[in-house]
Amino acid sequence: MGKLSFSLKPNFLGLLKFLNSFNWFIVFFSLVNLSVCIYEDQIGKFDWRQSYVGRIKFAQFDTVSTAKKIIVATEENVLAALNLKTGQVVWRHVFESASTGNIELLHVAEKVVTVSGSNPYLVRGWDSATGVLLWEWSLTLQNNDQAEFSEWFVENSALVHMLPVFGSHIEVSMYNLMTGQNRGSTSKLPALWTNEGCVLSAPYYTCLSGNPGSHLLISMDLTSNAVQLISKPLSQLITNEYDSSLRSLDGNSIVPGFILGDKKISMIKNNEFDFLSVELMDPSASVAIVDSSNGLIILQIWSDDEKGFFITGHSLATGKEVAEIRRPASGLSIPSPEISAVTCGTSRDVQPCRLLVTAQDDASHLLHQNGRVVWTREEALASVVAAEFVDLPVSDLDAAIESEFDQKEGSVWAAFSRRLQQQWQQLRTFLASLQAGEQRDHSQPLVRDYFNLHKMIVILTDVGKIFGIDNLTGEIVWRRYERGVDASRAVFYTRRHASLLTVVAAHEETGNGLIISFNPIDGSLAGERRMQLDTRLLQCTLLNKPDQEKLHALVLLDSEENVQVLPRSAAVHVDNTFMYVADKSTAKIQGYALRYDGKEVVAQKTWSLNLAGGGAGFGPDGDSGAHRIVGVWPKPSAERAHSPGRVLGDRSVLYKHNNPNLVLVLTEARDLHHKESWVVAMCVDAVSGAVVTSQVQRRARALPLAVHSDNFLAYVYYSEKHRRPEIATLELYEGQERWLEAGAAFSSFASNNKMALVSRAAYVLPALPAAAALTRTERALAARHVLLALTTGAIVEVPWAYLEPRRPVTPTPEQREEGLIPYAPELPLPAEAVINYNQTLHRITNIYTAPSGLESTSLVLAAGLDLFYTRVAPSKTFDLLKDDFDYYLIAIVLSALIVATYSTKYFASRKLLKMAWK
Amino acid sequence: MELYASFILIVGLIHQVLCAANSIEEDIGNGRNIIEGRVFPPEEQNINGWQINTRIHVNGGEYIGFIRDDGTFVIHNVPSGSYVVEVVNPDYMYEPVRVEINSKGKYRARKVNYIQTSQVIQVPYPLRMKPLSKFRYFQIREQWRLTDFLFNPMVIMMVLPLLLIMILPKMMNDPETKEDLKQIGNLAKMSEMPEMSEMFTSLFSGGSTAKSTNAKAKQVKKRQ
Repeated sequence: MGKLSFSLKPNFLGLLKFLNSFNWFIVFFSLVNLSVCIYEDQIGKFDWRQSYVGRIKFAQFDTVSTAKKIIVATEENVLAALNLKTGQVVWRHVFESASTGNIELLHVAEKVVTVSGSNPYLVRGWDSATGVLLWEWSLTLQNNDQAEFSEWFVENSALVHMLPVFGSHIEVSMYNLMTGQNRGSTSKLPALWTNEGCVLSAPYYTCLSGNPGSHLLISMDLTSNAVQLISKPLSQLITNEYDSSLRSLDGNSIVPGFILGDKKISMIKNNEFDFLSVELMDPSASVAIVDSSNGLIILQIWSDDEKGFFITGHSLATGKEVAEIRRPASGLSIPSPEISAVTCGTSRDVQPCRLLVTAQDDASHLLHQNGRVVWTREEALASVVAAEFVDLPVSDLDAAIESEFDQKEGSVWAAFSRRLQQQWQQLRTFLASLQAGEQRDHSQPLVRDYFNLHKMIVILTDVGKIFGIDNLTGEIVWRRYERGVDASRAVFYTRRHASLLTVVAAHEETGNGLIISFNPIDGSLAGERRMQLDTRLLQCTLLNKPDQEKLHALVLLDSEENVQVLPRSAAVHVDNTFMYVADKSTAKIQGYALRYDGKEVVAQKTWSLNLAGGGAGFGPDGDSGAHRIVGVWPKPSAERAHSPGRVLGDRSVLYKHNNPNLVLVLTEARDLHHKESWVVAMCVDAVSGAVVTSQVQRRARALPLAVHSDNFLAYVYYSEKHRRPEIATLELYEGQERWLEAGAAFSSFASNNKMALVSRAAYVLPALPAAAALTRTERALAARHVLLALTTGAIVEVPWAYLEPRRPVTPTPEQREEGLIPYAPELPLPAEAVINYNQTLHRITNIYTAPSGLESTSLVLAAGLDLFYTRVAPSKTFDLLKDDFDYYLIAIVLSALIVATYSTKYFASRKLLKMAWK
Repeated sequence: MELYASFILIVGLIHQVLCAANSIEEDIGNGRNIIEGRVFPPEEQNINGWQINTRIHVNGGEYIGFIRDDGTFVIHNVPSGSYVVEVVNPDYMYEPVRVEINSKGKYRARKVNYIQTSQVIQVPYPLRMKPLSKFRYFQIREQWRLTDFLFNPMVIMMVLPLLLIMILPKMMNDPETKEDLKQIGNLAKMSEMPEMSEMFTSLFSGGSTAKSTNAKAKQVKKRQ
């Protein structure tokens, strides 16, 4: 008996232990369940994707295969086939984004041939119908210095490479297109007359050469065995030869030719210049010569600021204008158009000409010869610089109801009559909505919906084109092109809720500040409109306090450290405003305090921080060990923190260090001599300049990816030691006691001499991320998830619970109760957490998130080569009925219950009656 | 006019022949290596155009390779070093491979292990990439099952009153509850539709008194 109990006892303990761990497993799996994923039938319900290719560099019509296509190669290093009828992408190949992916040549015959890279080059052949790779060979040039001037063309199924050494000679090599075997080997052609202004119109190379006043126009056939020069004195051709220049024809013209002095068009025929009788209609016109059923046609397109877009066609033989080619109806704005490709039916079947036109704003239009626009692709959206979710204005009716409650004065009767009027209005709109039914009318103005899920996405692109996109459908509502905007560092500011948005950018040429204010709902200029400043800007911010018109003033700090406030009247409101300016290359951060001295706002330097480190003395080059700033991440403005602390397992509270002025600064240094590199993360208080915490990763390379919110932050770096990407996470706490009283506003000065408790951890990422963002909800009640865009084209949602630095290696029961997951070095990135499922997104550069009216839901826009919009629910949709909620079942059950109650009542009364009779 | 007429210069053929074929080979020695291998298509035969959707990423897109019709791929111009080669397909998962090329141009391919970075499990080179499994991006909608139906709160709501109806008559046999029920019956007679609140209060108060009396009875029994 005693023996039995002896053997039982440890077993019992083991059982207890097992149960305890089981308990933990339940917690763990409930957390695993946190990673939400969608159902298969929800594809496309909340999300949309738009595929782009970038600004078209080369284009050619594929008329060989049955399905008509346009093959394009773009500035974004993308090779794609576009459907001729719809403009949609048929197939697409994305090359490397670095110079190794530059597409130098596109040649479409039976097969598509591309030359890409920059010494070494890659020659690839593609099947035009399916887009599958057929052959591939590499080519390395000996002469690396001159390689950037290389020109390529295909002649008689041989790839010709031409390398001019200006003022000396031209190297011409011919290769077998499929195998790369050097057919005729390299030949050096003496050409003392070459210079930078030469143009290639295959197979001729044409130059303007000679002393001023005695210019010669020289052209040479590169492929003929005998070197033949065609030459003509320029003075004979044009009167004013000083401003003469050469320009090539566009649109893969079928005959070699060029444009001289923006005036004369010349062909090269039978080794002679053949100047055409048709002159250039406009100095900026783009010209192509095409073959059509009625002979060769000279097509010209140009754009006039006042009169709009023009297109003309002249017959080469007769010089008469072709009547069928007409300009499109007015209203089409194509700034500085270029013919990318053109095709006309050559045989007897009456195939009209079609032109692919690329404009300065990166948009590509396919035009019919009668001026009809078949389709338009807004390729500017392939390079998004900034995006903002804007709330739609409330409908007139809702606004009226709100204003009704604002009106306090008036008698009871007046209020009553107003109420009646309102209700009559509501009834009428309700009836109208019933009549309209489900279909949405486009003429209806955009108004806010009940859950504020319907928003306007305002996107600023690199080229300076601004778009307004409906977030539910992905439709472009408005677009506006601003010339001369250097948008690379532009920022959006919401000046007035839902009605005024301001872009602060720089001017392309001068670098001076440029401010564009517009209404985000319809894209019309408003407020300051387009305002050109005469100084460069260092920093800008928005005043927290709005003025009487609910307008937030813009505070600008220029390079002379003068402060401008827009509008000027708001200068009196400047108080307690601080700014910092970080210089990336020198790694210096300067803090300013802004103050209104009765007349104007002055900026006073308050602190400065030099993060360059001691390595700066090694040398001027960037790899000497001096630090440079990789990025600066402040907290998102107008952010809410849900709770001031965390409840621990022992029922005590760990208070968060919630400093709204905290800025994460990532710096990186490389020392090539010692093969060392460091990544330093520093949390700086932007008001006082105090360094709250910092940490160093050795032998690591920084990636400009970080998230920062509430009391936590995370950043990604690449560990060169272990050759893997890692993510470092930090959480800041004040401790068990609050520093300030509950409810007191945070003050950077009051908490200056206190040390925050920092918990840190780092996790291994099994994939390389390209962009990172945090989900945002209205009141920060829902869990925070980190969205990581991977280079593979997936966006993964990682719950913060996995990234938390407080994850213990061996959890105590209290920590288990708190719900901390035991530490594991590798972060799981399961396929269920991929929010864009199998819709690959190439080269994601940014993820933008915004809260919706629903606390559970956060709106996500991923921008890169593609645009992808979806919504995520980090804590699941706790405030929404499930998608597959069974309305029928609940209705049937309820009605059945009611029927059952009444029938039992009837039967009960009958029974009572029977019993009474007994 | 003749003077200005265009003329053609014929220069002697000064062709300096360079052997480009040799130059390529020379460069391979300078650290221009290739990574080659073959991607095997997913099992399912009906997939068209899987080649177009499959890319080869080296070091997360630093070098990108495309696959041919038969699944082979070559990545050109790779300097010596260590590279993670992954096959990116939106629907199928492939295991990444680490390829190490030393300065002499020797290759070694091994499994990627981010945790134990020094662990070497060699895999054959040229690479042979086989799909591991299909990605499961979606939750599966719950199917209709009998157990689910039975444990549905709605169904329980329906079944429980039924059970109560079955049990209540048995409880009727108890004399004390009978009395309580009579009281309720009296109340029911007084008004055709009794108020819910009244019914509940009477039920609960009655129930509690009944319980207490029961407990008392038990105590009495124990004392005995």
